[in-house]
Amino acid sequence: MSTSIVRTLKNIYKSGIKRAAWQIQTHNDTKSGWLVGEDDYGNKYYETDNIEEIHLRTRWVEYNDRWTQIDISKVEPGWHYWLGYGTNTIPPNLKGDEKTVRAYPLPEKHKPNLTNTTGAYVTYNTAKPKFVPWVPEVKERV
Amino acid sequence: MYALSRKSALASLARAQPLSIVKYASVRHISSKDLTPKTLQEDFPLISQKTASSPIDYALTSLDAIANWARKSSFWPVTFGLACCAVEMMHVSTPRYDQDRLGIIFRASPRQSDIMIVAGTVTNKMAPALRQVYDQMPDPRWVISMGSCANGGGYYHYSYSVVRGCDRIVPVDVYVPGCPPTAEALMYGVFQLQKKMMKTRITRLWYRN
Repeated sequence: MSTSIVRTLKNIYKSGIKRAAWQIQTHNDTKSGWLVGEDDYGNKYYETDNIEEIHLRTRWVEYNDRWTQIDISKVEPGWHYWLGYGTNTIPPNLKGDEKTVRAYPLPEKHKPNLTNTTGAYVTYNTAKPKFVPWVPEVKERV
Repeated sequence: MYALSRKSALASLARAQPLSIVKYASVRHISSKDLTPKTLQEDFPLISQKTASSPIDYALTSLDAIANWARKSSFWPVTFGLACCAVEMMHVSTPRYDQDRLGIIFRASPRQSDIMIVAGTVTNKMAPALRQVYDQMPDPRWVISMGSCANGGGYYHYSYSVVRGCDRIVPVDVYVPGCPPTAEALMYGVFQLQKKMMKTRITRLWYRN
């Protein structure tokens, strides 16, 4: 975040008051750039090449439900990789063997972290217990 | 017990209507030793899901929000760095992740901190010290268990000298998985804990339970 007031005012002018207010609320900064893509949720990904921006702060996401649920787990893995500067190719543009193949099936739609909600994951045991309590069975007397 | 509970689980399965089977994502299971996971009763709302219904509710909700906001915004962890996880914990305080911008300041004294980040393998020898540090922290206090070893023994689960999870010694709020978790993962755990703090009902606990 560059602390120049000129840059802040410029970005507020470019984004509009409402969006700039949201950006200050969530990013602690005003940003302007171009829309790179959108994922299944409707999260929008932005990038800028403005030289005023600090190194590694030129890519960001704006969530679809912008004012309430701020959670990085809503970002799909491919987009997360792009946000972290792992690649310059956005997930929709991946071709052939560039796509990640996983050994386990992925859900149709990316699922965010449901911790702290009713859908939270709770562990359970699938191993057979090593010992079981004795259940008495009394045979009928002759 | 195993046979009995298994029988009852099978009976409940037979009773269940096909239409009432909800989607996999929303099914919760009780942690048990049974082969068949049983679904958890979920027709009652969580405390955090109760909504305000009267004027006093709204007033107390705002008071709670202020107190919770203050607590989550001055997030002072005591560093219980035990192993390699501690290195990742240090990365959170370095400029790339920069915890200071979030109001997170590592305190060397448990008496001045709110949160304990247990980072690394808790050995039997360290266990009393861990508990003592936890006891020295003032209320309200939270614990983040960081890494496989602190979560459940991890790689050293079958060792003779390692505690199988720091939740055997202190109550844990957030478990951060990984071996070691990245600095990003720890920050995500911190955000989860901040969310949990914001859902605390401080004043409303005595008012309505």
